[in-house]
Amino acid sequence: MDFDFTDDQESLRDAVRKWVDKGYSFERRRAITGAGGFDKAAWGEIAELGLCGLYISEADGGMGFGPVEGMVAMEELGRGIVLEPFAQALIAGGVISGYAPAEVKSAWLPKIASGESLVVLAYQERGARYKLDVCKTSAARSGNGWALTGAKTVVPAGDKADGFIVPATVDGKIAMFLVERGAPGVTTSGYGTQDGSRAAELALAQSPASLITADGLVALEHAVDIGIAAVCAEAVGVMDKTLAITAEYMNTRKQFNVVISSFQALRHRMADMKMQLELARSMSYYASLKLNAPAAERSRALARAKYQLGMSMRFIGQQAVQLHGGIGVTDEYIVSHYFKKLTQLEMTFGDTLHQLGRVSGQMQETAGVFA
Amino acid sequence: MDLAFTPEEQKFREDIRAWVREHLPADISHKVHNALHLSRDDMQRWARILGKKGWLGHGWPKEFGGPGWNAIQKHLFEEECALAGAPRVVPFGPVMVAPVIMAFGSPEQQQRFLPGIASGEVWWSQGYSEPGSGSDLASLKTRAEKKSIAGKGDVYIVNGQKTWTTLGQYGDWMFNLVRTSTEGKPQTGISFLVLDMKSPGVTVRPIKLLDGECEVNEVFFDNVEVPAENLIGEENKGWTYAKHLLSHERTNIADVNRAKRELERLKRIAKSEGVYDDMRFRDEIAKLEVDVVALEMLVLRVLSAEKSGKNSLDIAGLLKIRGSEIQQRYSELMMLAAGPSSLPLIREAMEAGWQGDFPGPAFAAPLASTYFNMRKTTIYGGSNEVQRNIVSQFVLG
Repeated sequence: MDFDFTDDQESLRDAVRKWVDKGYSFERRRAITGAGGFDKAAWGEIAELGLCGLYISEADGGMGFGPVEGMVAMEELGRGIVLEPFAQALIAGGVISGYAPAEVKSAWLPKIASGESLVVLAYQERGARYKLDVCKTSAARSGNGWALTGAKTVVPAGDKADGFIVPATVDGKIAMFLVERGAPGVTTSGYGTQDGSRAAELALAQSPASLITADGLVALEHAVDIGIAAVCAEAVGVMDKTLAITAEYMNTRKQFNVVISSFQALRHRMADMKMQLELARSMSYYASLKLNAPAAERSRALARAKYQLGMSMRFIGQQAVQLHGGIGVTDEYIVSHYFKKLTQLEMTFGDTLHQLGRVSGQMQETAGVFA
Repeated sequence: MDLAFTPEEQKFREDIRAWVREHLPADISHKVHNALHLSRDDMQRWARILGKKGWLGHGWPKEFGGPGWNAIQKHLFEEECALAGAPRVVPFGPVMVAPVIMAFGSPEQQQRFLPGIASGEVWWSQGYSEPGSGSDLASLKTRAEKKSIAGKGDVYIVNGQKTWTTLGQYGDWMFNLVRTSTEGKPQTGISFLVLDMKSPGVTVRPIKLLDGECEVNEVFFDNVEVPAENLIGEENKGWTYAKHLLSHERTNIADVNRAKRELERLKRIAKSEGVYDDMRFRDEIAKLEVDVVALEMLVLRVLSAEKSGKNSLDIAGLLKIRGSEIQQRYSELMMLAAGPSSLPLIREAMEAGWQGDFPGPAFAAPLASTYFNMRKTTIYGGSNEVQRNIVSQFVLG
């Protein structure tokens, strides 16, 4: 039992933090949002740091790291509310490495690791909410391969991606496929999302696809759990910075001739925010440390983690705006962007009520971290 | 980073578990598991069993006869005891006054007091709070004036009143913060004085609490003569010693191990009452389950930081706030799970072995009383509002 980071992990943190501080200013971020919410150049810079290959073996061109390194990178990107969907690189690396046949691995993993290809998980369908086993998109045999037909919704950076990991049903069972964006019958229509980043609707019409695994639901549940761990870590970074921004504001802003950090009602609110941050950080550690556990244990842990993170994100986001007063609800000032990011993260990979349902449904007789 | 305990730690846990299983009397664990009334004898019996093994002072270093365990081992020991249904060790002797005597007492004082604490023979009480000083402890007024008395040498004459003295009605000895000077800041005139509760002039009056029990007491001092040799450390340095005491065992206050045990009990009660499958109720348990896991992770982070010495985590205030809220919540949900069966107030039904007809399931008898009793947790040990002041100090300066 040990929660210290290794020197290598600290170096990774420093490298990502340095890039966020120097390379991803709020002004640059604003410009990226204005230009659609995804910047290929920024994605390339993230890849240059080696991050896109964190979960990909060295043999396949990656770093061969694990969930703790993923967590460290996500925390730091969260601090800068980076728009590019880095969690997707972790998902793609993890899922293709873990489930795909050799030829799919060798075709895609090196390109994902280098940043040449952005591959994103396209799993949500309209009306399915956060359910993973609702899948109207279907797959059929086509020559030596497969052809997919259907539609996916709110796909991160969908019209900028190079490929999609797509669940589709075969004979009533969900399988997992890889589809190239340039393939016949693939159309996307992009739009901005609430946090300033980008998503798209994806339509597939007899689109050729490679099979990743016939055991698609198992892979999808794993993919979403990788995503949850990533989002939890990202949220910790966002919240950590949100608290720092709010504390600085409270120590500067004067009302009634004194700084507002001298008011006990506000101080106690900040103490409650600190509580939510540390509970969230603890559960983000828990999520990452359980990510490689057997599926049932992993699922229980990740649901618990996302529930806590959701509660923390909503509280900290809302209270940060409140403690700023009027400036908190402007677009010009930075804190509203942190709030919107937290709101979107709460609703990514299952919102808080959804996760509570998962926790409730999977509850055991025993209690605690190791139960 | 690793969530798993090392094989050595795991082995240590198993050894503790086996020992506790063999030595914890079944009648005592039955009472603990069912929140039935624990007598002084029950608590003393378990204390003496631990004392005989050398584990009553389980946090003590080897030089004072303790096992010399590290933070993780202490945690594992506490967890195994809690899950097995052992009573909480009454902390005033082994956990609170002993570390102060070790750190600041003379060798004579150490030899005089520590063996009785280690064996569980001597019951200690705490004299901190006063009627006028709640969370503002430094405002205490109980006076100790030094005098020379012919034939007795130097003594302190103690006058004043302590209150909220937990289980003081059972106490043999008492450690106190007393005012020896009124000069300077309130903190600088306080001394740490221990006294025999059978001394003339000491009166203990139990305070009946909202649950009908007398868990705490008022203690009055009327010209009590205390030998000067009972002063621990230096005069007017007591505040420093008290802070040392409060900084000890900071994960202990979260009491997460007991919370795990009680959450399991809550689930059993909810199942037995048929509300476990009521989604509205079940979700409340699920929320508490996440709260308990998050608290345990917070505790484990603190322990890891203590073990490695790499990152200090000053989040004792958070542990106190969260731990106490969780204690209140599980007691509340247990009462709600039992519904109307928790309303009859039949004291005998809270005693082990009562054969009467309780109007409802027998487990419901103590649930409301426990709920009422638990309101103390967000008040004592520095109220949660005071803790929030401390936490905000770290964030805002």
